[in-house]
Amino acid sequence: MKADTTSALNAETLAELRPEQQLGKTALLLAAVCVAAWFSNMINGAPLIQALPGMVLLYAMVMLGLVIGRLVPFYLPSVAWVSLVSIAMTLPSFPGSAWVVEQLSHVNFLAVVTPVLAYAGLALTGREFTMFRQTGWKLVIVSLLVFTGTFVASAFIAHLIL
Amino acid sequence: MDMKLLLDWRLHLTVVLASLLAEAIGILRIPLGPGTLLLLPLFYAFIIGVLLNPHLFSGMQRIIPKRVSNAAGPLIMISILPFIAKFGSTIGPAIEQIIAAGPALILQELGNLGTMLLALPFAVLVLRMGREAIGATYSIAREPNIAIISDKYGLRSPEGIGIMGVYVVGTMFGTLYFALMAGYLASLNVLDIRALAMACGVGSGSMVAACSGALAEAAPHLRDELLAFSGASNLLTYATGLYVSLFIALPAAEWLYKRLGGNPLQEVRHES
Repeated sequence: MKADTTSALNAETLAELRPEQQLGKTALLLAAVCVAAWFSNMINGAPLIQALPGMVLLYAMVMLGLVIGRLVPFYLPSVAWVSLVSIAMTLPSFPGSAWVVEQLSHVNFLAVVTPVLAYAGLALTGREFTMFRQTGWKLVIVSLLVFTGTFVASAFIAHLIL
Repeated sequence: MDMKLLLDWRLHLTVVLASLLAEAIGILRIPLGPGTLLLLPLFYAFIIGVLLNPHLFSGMQRIIPKRVSNAAGPLIMISILPFIAKFGSTIGPAIEQIIAAGPALILQELGNLGTMLLALPFAVLVLRMGREAIGATYSIAREPNIAIISDKYGLRSPEGIGIMGVYVVGTMFGTLYFALMAGYLASLNVLDIRALAMACGVGSGSMVAACSGALAEAAPHLRDELLAFSGASNLLTYATGLYVSLFIALPAAEWLYKRLGGNPLQEVRHES
């Protein structure tokens, strides 16, 4: 049973991991989630109209990053490409970067993440609940140690060097 | 998965309403011992999502049918991408500071090894875990690390089960945990807050978001710099993390596991 759980997770995870493999589909879904983020931004970010150019820019940056990820002959996670596109477009030497930065400033950093977690809460399945009830508690403890260890060790090294 | 389900209006409307409610509650600060816990809107959004989850509360099927809830899974990965783009846009304008902090940024990647020093002995000696412990603790279990384990041992192996367990926990609770930990450590004032920002970068997209967001709330005057540092660190993690975990962390985990007396041949089962 354990093995089945893992392989099901595996197939689903792999499909989720490569949004650049189905660009048409991703373009539509991305539009839907951007609208959710756009609304979420209303309260602590900016009114809808003011934030619109920023949200459209974010949408365009993501699509551009995914297209690049699809075209290049080697693999780098799509998040890395999206991030590189957005860094490039906001470098002071990039034409129009001041306008881009200005528009994006109307999009609140944390407001964009709020809907992501709402999707995550809704996405939990019976499988995950079962896993935690059965053997999960050990893995939960180990996971929290893993996160703590990595975070504190990284912070400590950076602290020493800074 | 069927596009109709993925674009189901009930799902997206629920998410929008949950997000609006969460944003309206806003950030709460709770004093705890010498520090402060920061509760961010993304926590409430997650909790609202769980409460409306039809797999957990069958009464919720009237609002969100189970098949629609299943469609939310693939959307997590896509909905994090606009955030990644927003994140990158904090790096571009701060590029000079980031280059100046270069050595610290690169060397803190080795902090990934701290994972196994703490977690592997605990998993083997206290929890009596078998080879699952190697998969679970050699890395922070993000996508590139799963690829390595899958390649080397297969995901049906004990190592594979270990890493998938941490991956699931990370996806579900990592975000919340990172934000709580970062906000708390920042309020203790022991480590340079810029170092904490760099350490945020070790996680996956939503972990980094929550972690650096919490730091930015703790020190609003450094906001832009903190976001830029954690973004740059996250990018480096994606670029170098694969190699550090393949050539250093995994062999080191195997070595340490043997030293701790783990049996490499015996397949240990969970006592469920």
